[in-house]
Amino acid sequence: MAARRVGGGCWQRALWLGRRCRLPGGRESYRSSSSSPPLGKTVDNSQVTQEEIVLPRRKTWDKLAVLQTLASTVNRDPTAAHYMFQDDPFLIPRNAANSRLYSLSKESGRNAAKYIIKNFPQYFDKTFAEPNVPCLMPETLTPQTEGVSEEALRERIHLRMVKESVDMFDQLLQAGTPVSLETTNSLLDLLCFYGDGEPTPEKEQEEKEVLEEAGVDASEQKAPKRQFQRGSQASGPRWRENSHAERIFKIMPEKNAHSYCTMIRGMVKHGAYSKAYDMYIDLLNERHKADVHTFNALIRAVPYLKERFVERWELAKDFLTHMAQQKVQPTLLTFNSVLKSLRRCGGVGRTMSLFVLKEMEALDIEPSLASYDHLLSVYYKGVDAQSSDIISEVLNEVEKRSFTAQDPDDANFFNTAMQVCCDLKDIKLAYQLNKALEKGDNWKFLDVDRSNGYWSKFFSLLCMMEQIEVVLKWYKEMSSSLFYPSPKNILDLLQALDAANQLEVIPSVWEDVKQLGFNRRQDLLEEFLSLMSRDQHPSEIQLAFAKCAEEIKAVHEPAGPGQVPLEWTGSALGHVVVLFSRAGRTQEAWNMMEHFQKINRIPTDKVMDEFLNCAKQTNSPDEAIKMVKLAASLGLPLSQRLKSRTEEEFELSETQKKTLESIKWDGDSSDSDSDSSDSDRE
Amino acid sequence: MYKIHKQELFSTSSVLSKDKDKSATTKDSTPEGAAKRQADGADTPKQQLLDIIGNMKVEVSYRKKLQQLKTSENKKQAVNKLEGLDSEGSVSQGITGDTQRLNPELVKAASAVASSLPRNKKQTESELLAQLRRHEETTDKQKKGGPINLRSWGARLSGRISLQLDEDGQRTRPERSSAMDSRRYFCGVHLQYKEHALLTNLNKIYFLVSSPTIWDLEFAKEVAAVTAQPPRNGFEEMIQWTKEGILWEFPIDNEVGMEDDAEFHEHIFLEKHLEGFPKEGPIRHFMELVICGLSKNPYLSVRQKVEHIEWFQKYFEEKKELLQEI
Repeated sequence: MAARRVGGGCWQRALWLGRRCRLPGGRESYRSSSSSPPLGKTVDNSQVTQEEIVLPRRKTWDKLAVLQTLASTVNRDPTAAHYMFQDDPFLIPRNAANSRLYSLSKESGRNAAKYIIKNFPQYFDKTFAEPNVPCLMPETLTPQTEGVSEEALRERIHLRMVKESVDMFDQLLQAGTPVSLETTNSLLDLLCFYGDGEPTPEKEQEEKEVLEEAGVDASEQKAPKRQFQRGSQASGPRWRENSHAERIFKIMPEKNAHSYCTMIRGMVKHGAYSKAYDMYIDLLNERHKADVHTFNALIRAVPYLKERFVERWELAKDFLTHMAQQKVQPTLLTFNSVLKSLRRCGGVGRTMSLFVLKEMEALDIEPSLASYDHLLSVYYKGVDAQSSDIISEVLNEVEKRSFTAQDPDDANFFNTAMQVCCDLKDIKLAYQLNKALEKGDNWKFLDVDRSNGYWSKFFSLLCMMEQIEVVLKWYKEMSSSLFYPSPKNILDLLQALDAANQLEVIPSVWEDVKQLGFNRRQDLLEEFLSLMSRDQHPSEIQLAFAKCAEEIKAVHEPAGPGQVPLEWTGSALGHVVVLFSRAGRTQEAWNMMEHFQKINRIPTDKVMDEFLNCAKQTNSPDEAIKMVKLAASLGLPLSQRLKSRTEEEFELSETQKKTLESIKWDGDSSDSDSDSSDSDRE
Repeated sequence: MYKIHKQELFSTSSVLSKDKDKSATTKDSTPEGAAKRQADGADTPKQQLLDIIGNMKVEVSYRKKLQQLKTSENKKQAVNKLEGLDSEGSVSQGITGDTQRLNPELVKAASAVASSLPRNKKQTESELLAQLRRHEETTDKQKKGGPINLRSWGARLSGRISLQLDEDGQRTRPERSSAMDSRRYFCGVHLQYKEHALLTNLNKIYFLVSSPTIWDLEFAKEVAAVTAQPPRNGFEEMIQWTKEGILWEFPIDNEVGMEDDAEFHEHIFLEKHLEGFPKEGPIRHFMELVICGLSKNPYLSVRQKVEHIEWFQKYFEEKKELLQEI
């Protein structure tokens, strides 16, 4: 019993510890003070004779752990396009339209490969890879069971062959074999889901793309009604009268709740809302209970069943009470459907949506992004007096956590929120929203199209609200790697530059515009030209401006085959003349002047003055005289002044003077003057 | 001598804890050390606390930790529990009145635990008691089945907004009553939902058991498509490929996809199968060559190789008579 003094006042504790340990073989075992039994290894004291080695538990790593760690070390490169594009200067998309085109083409290439493998599986039967990669091998999509039997029917249903399943079902009925309720129900599921059409994966993908584009465009134009109509119309094939589903439903000997439910869901999906409601009444009459998905579908159908807002809300409430009576627990999707219907309930929606959210909290259901999206739409669409209370609350909630997708409508949240920030002209909220986007996996909710729209809106807001340095910094970082500026963005940028009096940046913006492919848009060109020609600038800037003007001029001229030249407008032409004049390019300016007649326009006074200045600077009196002649022929009141100016400011030779004198013009006091001048001469 | 010594230790446990405090400050107290001290110093009241709390509804993680500590203490010898508890009774005198709701044993145990920890005794004690109180509250609440407290932001919002929005021209009542409104409307619905939450769980289990319908499959696909974005860099692309099964999994395991149960030596050292053959002679020579070839063959399983050898054995058996004749 040697109690060693280990130090200080802890010898007592050491003794106590020693007593408490197991005493194998009568010898004492010490335990060091810095170890603890269930965790970690024991640290040796110098005199430890025997210790228990506790092995640490083996760590098992997920198969993706290494890759995920590596992926977390990499950030976005602001100078590169998205990873999915080939990193070649020719193959990088330069604007939004191209980027969509390229990504779709990549997808279509993949689909083409899958098509070949699916339709010619006989060429892909050798498995070279070890271990085999099943997802690259052709799938067996042909049904194995032959003959007419319920097994065969089930298999065809499983393989989603709509037409074959219906045929087989009819054959079975004709043969007199009864088909079980379960199989009939699954056949009904198939029919109601596809609405009598066939499943076509490629078409679905394209439809989705078209829908997204429609959604983005509509939101940019701020026409919520149009967007909603488009969304409702493009929801797939319409429910046909006497479709197979209805027919089979009618001839079913026995129906259970599942049959009614699936019919209701199918009808709602394909737009036959009143039929769905009738079917629901039938279900109630048969004393069946609907499941939660059916109720969700019915609640979504509410805006189409009633017209007035209050009636819609009442109907939704009815459905909810039925749910409670039938003891069906509502889920997140139920509440999201309610909120979605409330979007079309106007003011009633505004009051009720908060109650819905409170109900969700009371039931411990965390709202998803779709709930917040519906809430924002309810509050911020079409109402003039808007406060930022709701959206700040929503953003405070959203930025706390990383969301997972639970509702297909989740994807719309960020765009709606950014639109609201733009409407409220609040840049701080936008920054907060960006931070929420960076948290965890939230970035995944923005696909390529939506991301473009989102950042485009953000950039417009920036141009409106922030200093020019910040704007330019964001522009350099985001443009062409995160989003492709839209024409509106460029206009906003130009306005911001104008407001900050930094018009010398315009030539570089023009370069970007050329790259983006907007150099044929009239509105942009007008804006560029008017900004450039408005004031006098130091000479290098003028030269740069003139170069831009030259390029703009080139757009208006017939270039190669198939290139339709733009039509000149009077103001554009005038601006170009001014810009050429200020840069001292007299000949070109004169060429432009001659265009005026072709387009039947009259140059403004400013234009002519500038031209004269230019002629003076470059010492070309011929041009001056030509211009005076032009002015006279057009009958401008300015021409007299121009003539006098020419006489005074230029050093004219005799012939030139004579030519100048002989110019006739159609003015009021013109004849007498010219006569008098002629008479003077003589 | 031994026993008295022990009792001294236990009766002056508070003194001991003070000593421990001192020593804790002098030495570096690692977290393991603290845990160990906690485990050793409050064995008996801890056991009690563990037992009592184990019967209550607590979160799983906490429970697991308690289980761990429990199992660790099973290794040590149990000391006299009663003595310990009696001695700790003196410490529990400083309990305030509002903990009277709780089980007094619990309270005593909590204070015992607190006293054994080297840190701020009062603070730990109050924390533990607060936690126990919270447990009591939630259990009571769930027993009664009433709605849980609504979060503040909804109420705040409705207060601000409901005063502004009155499309019918009538003034909506201030925040508390509007909250009550909703509660009154939904209240009956609430209780029914709470009662049948159990039913939903059963429904969920039923769903897992029965096969999902086409609606469910397609919905799951749709939801998954919301966050399925193209990969942003090469690593994410590799992650996607690994998930699809196209890429090897890191760290690379050479034997993925091979279900070979036998070890390498069973493939290579096949001489033990040659026992049926004569020790010398051309047959042996031949069979040794066969074995050499088989050992280099990666495509056959051990069973197949053994069968191969057995075939030869049978063959030579049959031919033995022929050979003998020759």
